[in-house]
Amino acid sequence: MTLGLSISNVSKVWNPDGPEPMPAVQNLTLDVALGEFVVLLGPSGCGKSSLLYIVAGLEDATGGSVTFDGLPITKPSPERSLIFQEASLFPWLSVRDNVGFGLTIKGMAPEKRTKRIDALLRQVGLGGVGDRRPHELSGGMRQRAALARALAMDPKVLLMDEPFAALDIQTRARMQDHLLDIWQSSGASVLLVTHSIEEALALADRIIVFTARPGQIKDEIKIDMPRPRDRYAPEMIELAKRCEALLDEEVTKAFKQQELS
Amino acid sequence: MTDQASPAPVRTQDRNGVSRDHPLRKLRAKAASVTWVLASLGMFVGIWELAWWRGWANPLLLPPPHIFLSNMPEQFRFFDPNGQRAGALSSGGSVWSVLGVVGWSSFRVLLGLSLGFVASVSVGVAIRYFDVFGKLVLPLVTMLAPISPVAWLPVAIFIFGIGNPPAIFLVFVAIFFIMVLATLSQIDEVPAHYIQLARVMGASKRQIYWGVILPAILPGLFVTLRMNLFAAWMVVLIAEAVGVGSGLGQVTMMARNTFNASLVFFTMTLIGLAGFAFDQALRLIQKRILWWIGPSNVGGL
Ligand SMILES: Nc1ncnc2c1ncn2[C@@H]1O[C@H](COP(=O)(O)OP(=O)(O)O)[C@@H](O)[C@H]1O
Ligand SMILES: [Mg+2]
Repeated sequence: MTLGLSISNVSKVWNPDGPEPMPAVQNLTLDVALGEFVVLLGPSGCGKSSLLYIVAGLEDATGGSVTFDGLPITKPSPERSLIFQEASLFPWLSVRDNVGFGLTIKGMAPEKRTKRIDALLRQVGLGGVGDRRPHELSGGMRQRAALARALAMDPKVLLMDEPFAALDIQTRARMQDHLLDIWQSSGASVLLVTHSIEEALALADRIIVFTARPGQIKDEIKIDMPRPRDRYAPEMIELAKRCEALLDEEVTKAFKQQELS
Repeated sequence: MTDQASPAPVRTQDRNGVSRDHPLRKLRAKAASVTWVLASLGMFVGIWELAWWRGWANPLLLPPPHIFLSNMPEQFRFFDPNGQRAGALSSGGSVWSVLGVVGWSSFRVLLGLSLGFVASVSVGVAIRYFDVFGKLVLPLVTMLAPISPVAWLPVAIFIFGIGNPPAIFLVFVAIFFIMVLATLSQIDEVPAHYIQLARVMGASKRQIYWGVILPAILPGLFVTLRMNLFAAWMVVLIAEAVGVGSGLGQVTMMARNTFNASLVFFTMTLIGLAGFAFDQALRLIQKRILWWIGPSNVGGL
């Protein structure tokens, strides 16, 4: 039995019985160890989100299997929390109630819940804004709240689908640092999707570069540098060049695909 | 906007440095929109009065506002909130009787709308929630939806006789089918991410419907309700004209039968005012209770 996440030989075809089946992921094998930070990097439309949904248990794979701590994943679980790019806080709830949504579902007692929410909000640096409504927050603050909501579930894996893609560059860099702090203190594994090489290099223990659709693993890059990383260090520049070359080929392929269809 | 750990001031200020929430600014905006409403009304009245003054409009058939609004007591005579006998002049005659008549019509609209809203949202949600129920009921709803509420009038009278129930039923029917279909389309448009997140956090189907889908669809449905408010007013007038016994529709019908043009326009004015007041009230409810999408600005103000 392997601890952590184990994706073996997974394929995903959307609309398999429809007129135009869409193979999104093909024979993909990947293990994510406990506490590991893995980044999926690839051109858009190559099946990264599809893979994340399968790991979350929201979609069934059409082939292969996914296990967590040796048990097959068949349905969603709070163990595997999800964070999207945006529009994911419920607009009718205050920030507090958004963060506490999962706790309410769990049936946590109100007093305990309040304490937990306060602690979570402080952890993500939103101590003072619990009673605000999501639309009153900036994009970065909203993503912090989404992070707090995910952390409330004590996840063993954080699944993040381009979580910072909608943020401006400065906010983005700060959120990345913040995420690293939280990751290190929580001990959870992270599987994060991005199409930014810079982001991948700043965060990952391991970068998985995807091919164009259907997504397969093109290459894997291990990064042993301590964090916070200096992106201008010679090794990092070397890695960035390598990622860029790998990605470039696939982006070209993805473009050709789009032109054909 | 910069990202800050401390609470950042999110409200911006206008060009004069007055905050968006500042009472003065709110007042100014309110005054501006009221001015436009008055201007819109004034233009209409002005053209009408001009037509009368130039002799283009026959004052017997198209009496301008200064005529049909003068001599109120004369008009008030025709308003009998008890409405026992159509055209009765007996107990009518005061402002109170006019308010009584307006009140009855409003009551029917309000009750029909409330029942229709609750029933249609419940049925719409049930169609999506219970698969078999949905398959059984949806085709029926789709077939009944295009039938004009007026066509239901005889049915309403067969079932309920005359009095309040057929009028309320007609309002109910006027919005029910449309609102069921609106509920379905709203449910289908709930962002998939909301539902996926709720599932990941362990919500059951029931919890997802109560805690996510319902709050997500209510504001949009309320806007639909508001847009159907005027249809509800129209059918209630028809029901009253035909045989409820009292209300603005009955007064209009009586005015028509007696060729009392002034009374026709006076009643139309009341209908317009009541409809406007209803719209404002619904808008306020929407803003207070269902604040999470902005009130759509149909009709300005
Ligand atoms: N729910 C879905 N239904 C049908 N096709 C989908 C669905 N989600 C994604 N796809 C298709 O699968 C392919 C991969 O999409 P996705 O996994 O979102 O890629 P990425 O996240 O890498 O941009 C795309 O061609 C997309 O159109
Ligand atoms: Mg994606």
